[in-house]
Amino acid sequence: MKKIDVQKQILKIAPVVALLILFAVFYMVGTIKDINVAYGMKAIINQSVVVAIVATGAVFIYTLGSFDISLGASVAVSALLGGIVYNATKSILLMLAVCVGIAVLVALFNSVLASVFNLPVFVTTIAMLSILNAVVLMLISANGTGSQIAVPSEAVAGLDNLGIKVLVLFLFEALCIFVFNFTKIGRKQKFLGSNPVCAKLTGISDKKMSIVAFVMSGIGVGLGAFLCIIYAPTLTKNTATSVGMDVIIAIVFGGMPVSGGARSKITAALIGAFSMTFLSQIMILFNLNLGIGQMVKAAIFLFVVFVATSNQRAKMLPR
Amino acid sequence: MKKVLALALCLMMVGTLASGCGKETTENKGNADNIGITEAPTQEGEVTPDVTEGAKKVEIDTSKTIKIGVLVSDATTPEALAFRSYYTDYIQKQYNVEFVYSDELKDAAGEKSAIDTLVTNNCKAIISFSSFDRPAQIEQCAGAKVYYAVATGTLTQEQYDKYKDNEYYVGAIGPSLEDEYQTGYDMAKRYIDLGNTNYAIFGGAIPYFTDMHIYRAAGMLTAMVEAGGADANYLGATTKEAIVQQIYADSGIQTGNIGSLSIVAYVGGYDMNDAWFAQCAQMAQTKDLQVILAVGNGSDFFGAAIKGADVKIASVDAYASSYGDAMNAGMLDYLAGKFSASIGPVFAAVYSTVNGYPIRTDEGYALALSQGYWIAASSDEFQKYYAVDSSKESPAYTKSALDILVGSDYKTFSDFVSKYSFDEVVQLSK
Amino acid sequence: MKKNRMNIIKRLIGISIIPLGTLWIMLAFCSVRGVILFESEGNYIAFFRAAAAVMLTTFALSINLNSGRFDFSIGSISLLSSVVSATVCMKLGLPVGVMLILSLILGAVLGAVSGIIYVFIQLPPIIVSLGVALLFEGAAFAFTKGYGVSFVTNIELISFPGILNYSLVILIGLVAIIFLFEYTQFGYEYKTLLSGQKVAVNIGIKEKTNAILCYIISGGLMGVVGFITATNTGNIQIALNFGSIGVMFTAFLPMFIGGFIGRFCNEKIGYLLGAVTTAFISLTYARLNVSSSVQQIVTAIILVIFLIYLNNENKLKQLFMFDRKVYADKEQK
Repeated sequence: MKKIDVQKQILKIAPVVALLILFAVFYMVGTIKDINVAYGMKAIINQSVVVAIVATGAVFIYTLGSFDISLGASVAVSALLGGIVYNATKSILLMLAVCVGIAVLVALFNSVLASVFNLPVFVTTIAMLSILNAVVLMLISANGTGSQIAVPSEAVAGLDNLGIKVLVLFLFEALCIFVFNFTKIGRKQKFLGSNPVCAKLTGISDKKMSIVAFVMSGIGVGLGAFLCIIYAPTLTKNTATSVGMDVIIAIVFGGMPVSGGARSKITAALIGAFSMTFLSQIMILFNLNLGIGQMVKAAIFLFVVFVATSNQRAKMLPR
Repeated sequence: MKKVLALALCLMMVGTLASGCGKETTENKGNADNIGITEAPTQEGEVTPDVTEGAKKVEIDTSKTIKIGVLVSDATTPEALAFRSYYTDYIQKQYNVEFVYSDELKDAAGEKSAIDTLVTNNCKAIISFSSFDRPAQIEQCAGAKVYYAVATGTLTQEQYDKYKDNEYYVGAIGPSLEDEYQTGYDMAKRYIDLGNTNYAIFGGAIPYFTDMHIYRAAGMLTAMVEAGGADANYLGATTKEAIVQQIYADSGIQTGNIGSLSIVAYVGGYDMNDAWFAQCAQMAQTKDLQVILAVGNGSDFFGAAIKGADVKIASVDAYASSYGDAMNAGMLDYLAGKFSASIGPVFAAVYSTVNGYPIRTDEGYALALSQGYWIAASSDEFQKYYAVDSSKESPAYTKSALDILVGSDYKTFSDFVSKYSFDEVVQLSK
Repeated sequence: MKKNRMNIIKRLIGISIIPLGTLWIMLAFCSVRGVILFESEGNYIAFFRAAAAVMLTTFALSINLNSGRFDFSIGSISLLSSVVSATVCMKLGLPVGVMLILSLILGAVLGAVSGIIYVFIQLPPIIVSLGVALLFEGAAFAFTKGYGVSFVTNIELISFPGILNYSLVILIGLVAIIFLFEYTQFGYEYKTLLSGQKVAVNIGIKEKTNAILCYIISGGLMGVVGFITATNTGNIQIALNFGSIGVMFTAFLPMFIGGFIGRFCNEKIGYLLGAVTTAFISLTYARLNVSSSVQQIVTAIILVIFLIYLNNENKLKQLFMFDRKVYADKEQK
């Protein structure tokens, strides 16, 4: 009995162990290959922070057993509009407000569409992905000639430092942990994700919870968009295109069950985002052929997720 | 038991793939004389230049492997693969350098992350094929004290003026927008001179506002305006500048008459969905169409659709074997192609700089040199160029040719680069 | 008798209203712009090609999605199978028919690999499919050294596009899928698992075998989709970093349309008609040179409106006092 408990505890921390192992591999291989590990760590934080924030917000949606594939496109639209507003007003605060506001609006639109019209969330977000991608192209062409919307780099250079990024990440993480672990919202969401029928019978409104989840996700997307502008103020049609898939990978990498429910964890997104970046950095260290590199990455991804979710196996095949 | 099996399966997958990769890495590393990674000599380093008349002769310490990062926004087109092959299969074997490639970059944030990664990997210089935000790339590299150069492209005049003094900005060598314009112009002019009147244009990345594609198309349209008769114009525009502006405004090209010539069809973008493929087929089968002018790869998208029809396709891309086959089969009539070794001089400039011999203009500014395309208008011409371009042993710019550039003065360097036609390059290599 | 006739008429209307209605709307759009939707043979070929490819993709996606298995890897299966089959056929000078069969077999093998990984490591299918998509994209890159495959000059291999060939693919694909899912032990078990996974497993149905077979069939279908796409232009371009997943999105609208039509006939026929509907829309986009952004928005809005209708049908009927009796009858039942 005790042995099983220990095993369970170990499996519970498996995602953290996986992250530590990836860090150790990065450090060891990096040292052997004489890379600049300290610089690398800064790079890893820079590269992980946007995905970590967006994925942390998205955990609320995943907890309900849904998932949103339009998050990357939403980051892009929010950032582009934020950039346009900055260029018109020269106000960083207004840019931040627009980024978060637009992202929340998009998220609300998604959730209202899904809850009012009873649409499957995933399909709504597929439609939203198409619409937002088209909006990106339209915003860029409406902004005049040229393939980009650029905020002057001098305007955001002062904000482009690790301190601010880590602070934003920390504050948002703290907010999400508080809402998720210390308020009724988190418990209700886990309940809805685990057993929606029972949850509804006990009076929990799935529509309200869905709206809350999307709003939290929207805040994450908005902050992610803001940090995107700060990091790289030249925005193009491809801005943040990879964020959508990265968020899914980060969440599962961090040991979060895609079916949501009681085992959902806010920290999964953070752990997953960093694990993913460490893995990418390790792959670069080996300087592999692109195709082979991607195959190795896929195999390691499956292996890590397999280990990290070992405590989630059921008798039947997962769906 | 099942868990053990599953775990074993995962481990086997990782193990098998990793062992395969290990082999690849070893092969790459085996080419270098010295596997240890050490710092490249500084400007005041131990190496002593040995200057001779004309092309300077310098002594480079080749015992240390120099890592050079390469930023790429495209990893799968023939052009990108040919460039990569020249660096990794030829240059890396000839010089004690290791190229560290970025992933396929999608945006400015990707560029920034990739530069951070390359700096982490102790790359002493970065050669960039990615152009989402060049000023940011230069500033980031300079901040990290890493040399930076642009391959197959140029900066705008405004950007050049801002960064030409920066010691970490080595320079840019490649087709300028003027070259791109001229390439489109020459392509259209050829068919106009042959008496063709009905054209279709494939606009490639024009809908995404890609400058080089817009300038190539503007060149085509200007040639048509000039040849279309006294009142010929493109939507009222008659000058290069006005046509460029019109294309930017429309993010595409309008069909219609340009004097006595006609644009009978146009397709832009790379949507690759059913509607786009139908548009491509429709364009290739337009009644009375004589020539498809493509700002990028034309034969791969339209070759099959023109089979049996008397339609010519002209493309801009690189010297890949598939284009040779297409030319041989009459599916490609004209190719303005970058030759893979065209990125040799930018490597030489970077290598020279990293080893303490920066190549600057007489005023001490960074390089800004233009280099155009090889034009193949027949299968024989294509084969002649391709034989040289695809050679892994003796490419267009061999080590001995590039050695002329390492540590050379600006005049030698710029003269060398300006002679980029096939015959001139062959002559130089001799 | 009268009731039966009414039923048949109702069914016929249910089956045909969406594709015919769409065709009518598309013809109207075209005529307003002075364009003929089906003007040349090329337009017909484009239409049949889209219908065939989208129908097979819809089958491939729905086989697993209906069972709750979301599969991001179908695009990568289509890519890798066509890359290998085209290379083999080019090198050995094999005819296009062999390439079709080879694509089908390779697709099925890759589907089996995907299914076996899923069954063995027992991760949620969405995660497995992400890993598998990366794996197969990487393999396609490594196999071709990144160049993809160009056989534009191979007249034999690019000879496939044609109305008859695409029609045959549609017919054979449809019959095969209906047979497999309606008239075989596998099909019965698939449906049982669909309606109740736990019960089905408890009564002894081999879920893992059934799942692997689903992946094999789905893979085989995507192999054919890869073949259709490749032989259209004679060119296969490599995708990396999930670049292949876009194919999957083409199947959602026809899948939902098919689901609706499936109330009046076999669901698979519904998918075919869903594919036909989207092929009308695609051809109209091409004929009217509709820009990519407008296409994306229009398609997304159609999808959302259709889903809103599907998920709120009864409320809408009530709202518009339409068919109140039928609704009341249903409620009673």
